[in-house]
This record gives sequence, structure tokens and C-alpha cells, in this order.
Amino acid sequence: MELINYNDEELFQPGHVACAGCVEALSMRVILNTVGRDAVATVSPSCGAVICGAYPFSATKIPVFHTTLESGAASASGIKRALLSQGKPDTTVLCLAGDGGTYDIGLQALSSAAERNEDILYICFDNEGYMNTGGQKSSSTPLAAVTGSTPAGKTTRKKNLIEILAAHRIPLIATASPSHLNDMAAKVEKAKALRGTKVIIVLIPCLPGWGVADNAAVKTARLAVESGVFPLFEVEDGVHYTLNTEQRTQSVNSYLAQQGRYRHLSAEQVEQIQADVDAEWQRLLWCAAGR
Amino acid sequence: MQQPPSPLWTNASSRTRLTGTWRSAMPEYQDKPSPCRGACPVAGRIAEWVRQIELGDYYGAWLTLVDNNPFPAVAGRICHHPCEGACNRQQLDETVGICSLERFVGDMALAEGWCFPEPAAAQDQSVAIVGGGPAGLSAAYQLRRRGYRVVLFEERGQLGGLLRHGIPAYRLDKTILDGEIQRIIDLGVEVRLQSGIADAGALRALHAEYDALYLATGASRPKTLPELDYEQPWVQDGADFLAATNAGEACELGQRLVVIGGGSAAMDVARTARRLGRSVSVLALEPDALLPAQPIEVAEAREEGIEFITGAMLQAVESLGDGLKLQCVRVDFQQGETRGTFSVEPVSGSGFVLSADAVVPAIGQDADLARWDGLLDSDGPVVRTDAQWQTSRPGVFAGGDLASMDRFVTQAIGMGKMAAEAIARHADPLQPGAVAANGSEVPFAEINTDYHPLAGRLQPGNLEVEARLRTFDEVQHPLAQDEAIAEAARCFSCGTCIYCDNCYFYCPDMAIAKLEHGYDVKSDYCKGCGLCVAECPTGAISMGQE
Repeated sequence: MELINYNDEELFQPGHVACAGCVEALSMRVILNTVGRDAVATVSPSCGAVICGAYPFSATKIPVFHTTLESGAASASGIKRALLSQGKPDTTVLCLAGDGGTYDIGLQALSSAAERNEDILYICFDNEGYMNTGGQKSSSTPLAAVTGSTPAGKTTRKKNLIEILAAHRIPLIATASPSHLNDMAAKVEKAKALRGTKVIIVLIPCLPGWGVADNAAVKTARLAVESGVFPLFEVEDGVHYTLNTEQRTQSVNSYLAQQGRYRHLSAEQVEQIQADVDAEWQRLLWCAAGR
Repeated sequence: MQQPPSPLWTNASSRTRLTGTWRSAMPEYQDKPSPCRGACPVAGRIAEWVRQIELGDYYGAWLTLVDNNPFPAVAGRICHHPCEGACNRQQLDETVGICSLERFVGDMALAEGWCFPEPAAAQDQSVAIVGGGPAGLSAAYQLRRRGYRVVLFEERGQLGGLLRHGIPAYRLDKTILDGEIQRIIDLGVEVRLQSGIADAGALRALHAEYDALYLATGASRPKTLPELDYEQPWVQDGADFLAATNAGEACELGQRLVVIGGGSAAMDVARTARRLGRSVSVLALEPDALLPAQPIEVAEAREEGIEFITGAMLQAVESLGDGLKLQCVRVDFQQGETRGTFSVEPVSGSGFVLSADAVVPAIGQDADLARWDGLLDSDGPVVRTDAQWQTSRPGVFAGGDLASMDRFVTQAIGMGKMAAEAIARHADPLQPGAVAANGSEVPFAEINTDYHPLAGRLQPGNLEVEARLRTFDEVQHPLAQDEAIAEAARCFSCGTCIYCDNCYFYCPDMAIAKLEHGYDVKSDYCKGCGLCVAECPTGAISMGQE
């Protein structure tokens, strides 16, 4: 059995107000401790902002700057430049955001920062919806998922943010899952050592938003990886793809069946989603083979 | 409780917020019993010693093993291993090869010359043990290590009982048996060979000398078949046959043998006879699927060229000048309610004839109860005992085949252990009883199999059939060290903490503290989500209601 082996320096503190069993808090713990003390973070309005702590409480041992929802990447860029002018080029600037602040409302700022290749480490906690405001759909919400604003299931696909970011040819884009903590820590470590814009998208199965049991978010995330719904991979310089899990061992249905938001699906819809995942997987293999 | 917030800056730590108040249930670390342990006749801490093998701590594994069973090398060869039948891993792929791992540790202990730890300080009381088979030796070991004076009386010239006289060398090499017995004697057990306790009077006299007695004289009286004339030179009882051949005496029986019986003893007789160059048929009442012998014994017997005629019985024997004609008939076999009981109905018109030179019945043995007439009550075919293995005479305990119809070697070892614990309590009622394991056995559903990738069992190989038929060398090969470690790594360690830190790392609330040995739940912060329980690979944590 592979042991988890990152070093927890207690940079993320208990007493935060994430829901019981929330794997965004779990991922935050891994990321903050892997980045280390020499770091500054921005966080845009999201579950992450709540977890980091509302005034006057903080769950982090590094400074965190609360931004507007549009301006996460722009604020991080500014902080990085300020640090550079202070002669602190090695301080990591983390930009923490949800999928609403990344796929939708913060996309312009992120695209601009990526185009300028700002030296920031952007973390998107992707729970596939506006879960902090009661669970409305975002452009990250997958096809057929029920949210507060798509009560019969979303009729369009999940936006492929990775391909958008790849088009910017930034040094590193990676996916990470709270079921694979060593992989997550290794990717943060790798990103920290690179200069330029790095983006890590972490899948966060949301307990109330997805209809997942309190103790099952890690399991759900693991099934997302093992079914190929959310493959673990890296894209370097926008063109070099590396798959971190090379085999799919679960059906898509085993992943969907964990979640209340897919409970209404017919067998045909499940088949359709499986077919979509199969096609995406083939495309990913093709990309990885071409590196 | 909360510090007043700073008016200027967000420097108040979230630690002041005690999220433990959200909780309705809290995780508890429990050393829960594994199903293998529940099935084990000696209640061995299997998950614990298998884990020690995986970590390369062979000596530690051996100490854990011999806490309950001083015969790991013997049991690792011939135990009927109900542990493997209970193993949770079979619901994922295949059961863990517990028996072969036990042999691995037992053999290493003999090769390295490991000794038992010194016995506890000497106690005033002394105990006499009658019978030097597995039950008697197990009781002697357990009492001696607790500091009692133990005197062991054995009727025959050597210790071991059925292990020596009944189990052929190809299943249990006698040097292995000698090594494990010697280690028990070396603890300071006083042995009186060729010292049987002949009758009730002798037993009463013995009891006057000792604080307690333990009787484990086994089942020495062969059951007999009315159809057979045991006086004939072409009949030899199976137990006598095995005792003689195990002692190296020549076999006088003819070329074509028919062995009657379908149990382990019948397999031992048949396979021994094959090694002595005989052609052998086994005639059993039971149909194939109900043969009482272990399936592996039957399979290996078949490999060795033994013919099986099952679901049939002997009706009469006709002795001709140049051999025997065995009149047999097919039967309808019905298993009874309790172990060992059955009924048979001959199928009319299904008679057939077998030709043979000799017949060896191996249909089981009864305890010799007449010996204790008037002194000890009996319960059907065995001596009556209570739940503490005490007979109707206070201070006299009994076990093994004398007191039970559970006729397996490791059952006898387990009975010896339980009786020793009861005798210790009898000698000193203040002595603490055996510590019961916490809670109920860990079911498969509590094992997170994501941490246990599919991996088939490593079966130790067998000697080639041709080589088997030429010698009495052991059939089953041992596991090599790397194989043993790989097989041990397959164990789920059901209910046993393996200190993997998953609970610590998967807690979103930093509410698990690592201690030097184990973990503590910080009740101030634990929100009771249960992720630690879900991600525990061994089922060692449960949610407890508050």
C-alpha cells in the first residue's frame, strides 16, 4: 500500500467552517503545506474564501487577500509584481478560486494573466457549480447534472477549461484529486519550482451540492479518476500531455451512482455519458501519445 | 472560550472555533477481531502476526503465534485452516494463505533455534497432565509458562500422540515435530514416559498428589466394522497400520489394498500404502462432495493414483486362495444433524465386487471411557466437561479427542490452551480471565478495498507425483522469504491498525493526532464526518455514537 508522505507543517488550521467531510478543506491542507511558509494567497468569493476564514478569523498561516470574484488572477499578478519589486522573487503567489471564479466570472482575468505568463500558481477548486450560494450551475457543471438552476439536469456540456488554458501555452496545467494526495502534492511541488502561470484544477465532490454522503467525497473523487470522468494528467507548455493514471478500472455508472445529482438519469443517458467519457479518453490518449 | 477578535487585522486563528460541537458521532480506534481469528481453533491473533511477517519482524510474528499455539510449524503443515475459509479477502479475489505463512514462521523458528521466553515466577501449585498428544502438550506449555509445576504422563515411549503415530512423514516431517516438542519440554516440563494411568483408582491416587489434573488421552479404541473379522491376517486397523509404518516397521499386507473410510485418517493410510508400492482403492460411504477429509488431501490422493469408490459400503468379504472378494453395495448417504452422525440406505440391485489382498478400515476411533468408570461422567462417546473443560470431578479437567468430537489437531491444541487457562483460574480464582477482543468481527464491507489491489494467492508448490511415490518426503514445499512477504502483504489486517496514517492525512479538520503508538481524535475539532473510517484500509476505526 502506498503511504501518503507529504509533510504537514500545520499551515492549515482546524476550526475552519467547511462542511464536515469537505475535501476542499482536505485539498487546501495538502496544497498550503506543500507550498510552504514563503507564500501569499489570494482567494475570490467561493467556498475557499469561507474556508480560509472570514474576518477576523483565519485558518491559514500565510497571508490571504480576499479579492472580488472577477479579479482573482489580476490581484495575484499585482501581488507577485509587488513582491518582485520588494526583491522577493521566490515567494509563491497562490491564487485560490472556485469554478465560478475560474470558468465563468474570473475567466477574463485568468486568460489575461496566462497570456502575460504571470508567475502565479492558480488553484481551481472545481466543485462544478456555485455551491457556496446554494448550488446553481456554472459552465463547469457537467451535462445532465441537477443543480438549483438546472432542476431537470444541465442540457450542455462542461466547459473544457484545460484546452482553453492549453491554448495559452503556459508552463503547466494539471488535474488533481483529493483521492490521490501524493499526486496532488507532487504536482504542487512541481508547479512551485516553475516560473510562469501554473494552473491546477482539483476536483471537489461537493457533499450537499452533488448529493454525496459525508464520508464519501474521497471515494467519489477516486471513482471519477478511475472511471476516466476526471483523468489525472498534466499539460506542459500547452502541448505535452502526460497521463498520470494510464488505465480506467471503473465504469462511469459506478461514479454517477454515488451522487444524488444524477439520480434521475435513464440507462440511455448513462450510456451516452459513458460514450462521451470514452471519446474524451481516446482523445487524451492520442494527445499523450503525440508528446 | 473565544478570544476577543483583533480590531485591526485577521490574525485570530480559526483554532478558537471549536467545531467539535457540530458532531453527532466520533471515530473510535478499536482493535477489532478479524474473522480468521474467530474461526481459529486456538483464537490466534492472525492479522497481527501476518502483519509482522510483512514488516520482516519474523521473531515478533513467532512470539505472537506461540502465545496461543506452541506448534506453528506443525499446524502450518496439517491444520485444517478454518481461518482461510473465513478470510475476508476471498470476497475480493482469493483467501490469504495463512497456513503456509504459519509454516514459514514455524520453520524459521526451528532453523534459528528460537526458544520460548522464560516462564513466569514459580507458582506453588502443580498440575499432572495425562496424555502427551497435542492437547496435553498445549496445556503443559500454557501452564508451565505461567509458572506452574507440570508433570506430563505419557503411556507410550515418545511424546506426540496422534502427531507422531497417526500423521505420516510426507505431511509432517518428524524432525519438525521433535523440535517443537523439545522446546516445550525445555521450559521445564517434567516428562514421565511409559507411564500410563491405567484406571480410575490410579487416577484418584494421582489427583491426591496434584492440585489439578488434565486428561488428554485421546481416542485410542478403533471403531470396528461388523462385516470384518479383525483376527484375519488380511485385516489391519488403520491406526495400527499408521503407527507401524510411522515407526518404520515393514508392511506385511498384500499388493492390492482396499482402505475403508473417507476421512483424513483414511487418506493417510491410502497415501502411505501407495508410497509402500501398493495399489490402493478407497471405499467410502460418503459421496465425493461430502467426504470428511480435506479436499486438498483427496485431490493429492487422486494425483498419487488412488482410486476412489464413494457412496458405497462393504457388505461381506470372501477369502479365496489367491485373494479376497469384497461384496459391496451402493448406498444413499444422509448426513445427520450433528457432526459425525449419518444414516445409510443400501440401494437395492447395486451390488458389486471388489478384488483385493487386504482390507484396512480407517473409520475413526473412540475414546476409552471404561478406564475412568465410576469416577468421571461421560456424555455419549466422550468425557463430560463443562464450559471450562472441567469434568464431573472438580479439579480434573479433560480435552482433546477424549472430551470432544471436534477431531482436528488444532482443535486439540486450542482445547489444551483453554483448559490451561481454566486450571490457572481454578488454582488462583483471582487470576484475570482471557481478555476478550473488542466488538464484533470486521465484515468485508468495512474494508476499503481501494487500498488492496487485486493479487492472487501465492500457492506453495507440491513435490512431483513421481517423487512422492518413491519417498516419504514432505509433499508441500515451503514459501520462500520473498513469497512469504508478498503473501503476507495480501492480508487486509482486518480490524488491526497498521499505522498507515491514512486517518491522519484524510482528515479535513486536522483532528487526528499522531501518537508514538497510534492516534488520538481531537474532540475539539472533529466534525464527525467519518472520512477517516471510510479511508481506513483495515476497518480498525468505527464511528461511535455520542
